[in-house]
Amino acid sequence: MSETVVVQNVCKKYKMHKSPKEKLLDVLLPKGYGEDFYALQNISFTANQGDVIGLVGVNGSGKSTLSNILGGVIPPTSGTIKTVGQASIIAISSGLNNQLTGRENIELKCLMLGFKKKEIQEMEAEIISFTDIGKFIDQPVKKYSSGMRSRLGFAISVTVNPDILIVDEALSVGDQIFGQKSKNKMFEFKQKGKTMFFVSHSMGQIKEFCDKAIWLEYGEIKDFGPVTEVIPAYESFLKKHKALTAEEQKKFREEVMRKQSGLSMT
Amino acid sequence: MIKSLITIAREQMHSFYLILRLSAFEVKSAHTNNYLGRFWEILNPVIQLAIYWLVFGIGVRGGQQITMENEVRVPFFIWMVTGMVVWFFVNPAISKSSKSIYSRLQLISKMSFPMSAIPSFVIMANFYTHLMLMAVVIIVLQFTSFKLSVYYIQLPYFMLATLIFLLALALITSTLSTIIRDVQQIVQSVLRMILYVTPLIWHTDQLVLQGVDLTFLLKMNPLYYLVEGYRASLLGTTWYVTEYAPYTLYFWSLILVMLLVGSALHVKFRNRFVDFL
Repeated sequence: MSETVVVQNVCKKYKMHKSPKEKLLDVLLPKGYGEDFYALQNISFTANQGDVIGLVGVNGSGKSTLSNILGGVIPPTSGTIKTVGQASIIAISSGLNNQLTGRENIELKCLMLGFKKKEIQEMEAEIISFTDIGKFIDQPVKKYSSGMRSRLGFAISVTVNPDILIVDEALSVGDQIFGQKSKNKMFEFKQKGKTMFFVSHSMGQIKEFCDKAIWLEYGEIKDFGPVTEVIPAYESFLKKHKALTAEEQKKFREEVMRKQSGLSMT
Repeated sequence: MIKSLITIAREQMHSFYLILRLSAFEVKSAHTNNYLGRFWEILNPVIQLAIYWLVFGIGVRGGQQITMENEVRVPFFIWMVTGMVVWFFVNPAISKSSKSIYSRLQLISKMSFPMSAIPSFVIMANFYTHLMLMAVVIIVLQFTSFKLSVYYIQLPYFMLATLIFLLALALITSTLSTIIRDVQQIVQSVLRMILYVTPLIWHTDQLVLQGVDLTFLLKMNPLYYLVEGYRASLLGTTWYVTEYAPYTLYFWSLILVMLLVGSALHVKFRNRFVDFL
């Protein structure tokens, strides 16, 4: 099987600023200014064609940062990412323009993703039938219910037919009927052999879809392997963590902060 | 620097269709809430022109006519309208394009998107309004003594020059204002100043202070060139491009420098735009 995503030594560093003055200094000084915060440290892994990989980890462990980097929304501070084919992120809050109608938003979004005029015309009908919102497609998006809005966003993201798909907690959109529809779409992608990444806190969903899992802890890969090994380990970690006393939990968080400020690197 | 300029130029050409479509959406979404819709784009300038004419034309100048270089006498109102038509384009285009990148970055959410197309489509959206206003001005002029003339063929040149000037400026301001938000405030106040130092409502063929001619200071402003060029074309007074050849040369050298600086800045920072949000 061919490699579709190769991630090597990826780090993402943010600067923390206490005041606007520090922010300005950071822009002006050649070396930058401010306390470092490593959202990701030394991430390396390889994904093959047809892999469905779950990203798990507690809040703030860097799941969303990693998925944004994989989707090409934000650049890494250092390290390289090679992706074969187009990557697309499905997130619940995909940018829709409230003043424009659903139909116009479809064209706008597809233009933003770099599609040609003809391709967009072909995709439009497919997207509209997937959203299943009837006459509302010609109403401004501000009049949509929140369910309609997320359905439109989801429909656009899956119809553009990306080679690499990153799903950031987006399978829970809409009602159960739409949920089933989107699940089916996901299974269809899986069968087509697309590389997919799943960010989710629902272990049930991860077990249902994924073959492999990456467990992130304070911006580092704690474990990467088959779902059957990583998820039980993660679940037992969660159980143990919940059982810790308040004092011990605080200690764990302090340890995390120390590691992410880059002190452990030196 | 030259490499960045080529990158930007190529990007602009490749995303031409994109720029056209996105600017159409931009115009559409700006007017969906008003009952009068696009009619406001004519109504607003008319209201502004009326007050400027009252204050500067009647109040300050006492209804006196303006004498152009070749002794043509022009009523103040017509003189003002032929300049202000540029201002009604340039003013919103500069202020909107300078905030174009940081206000839209979340919508783009894709690094592969040609970033330099963002200021361009914002400028383009304002250009449609400009064409509409120009049509109105030209129609109105036919009822005065300044009718359609051969000098009108300079207009496409000046429109293109204005567009390129706006793009060059927007590359600089949109990048800087994304990094340092305060730049947007500076742009706004400078624009307010520019209204008075460009021959728009104040006729400045000579600015002499204690025996020193300071007109050259006013002429350093590239808008001076554009406004006077439009005016010469619409009123049919001169072939502005060749009549003031050294000034034309100055204008384009300045634009070239701005383009070089703007594209270098843009290319240097665009990968990190998301980090500045």
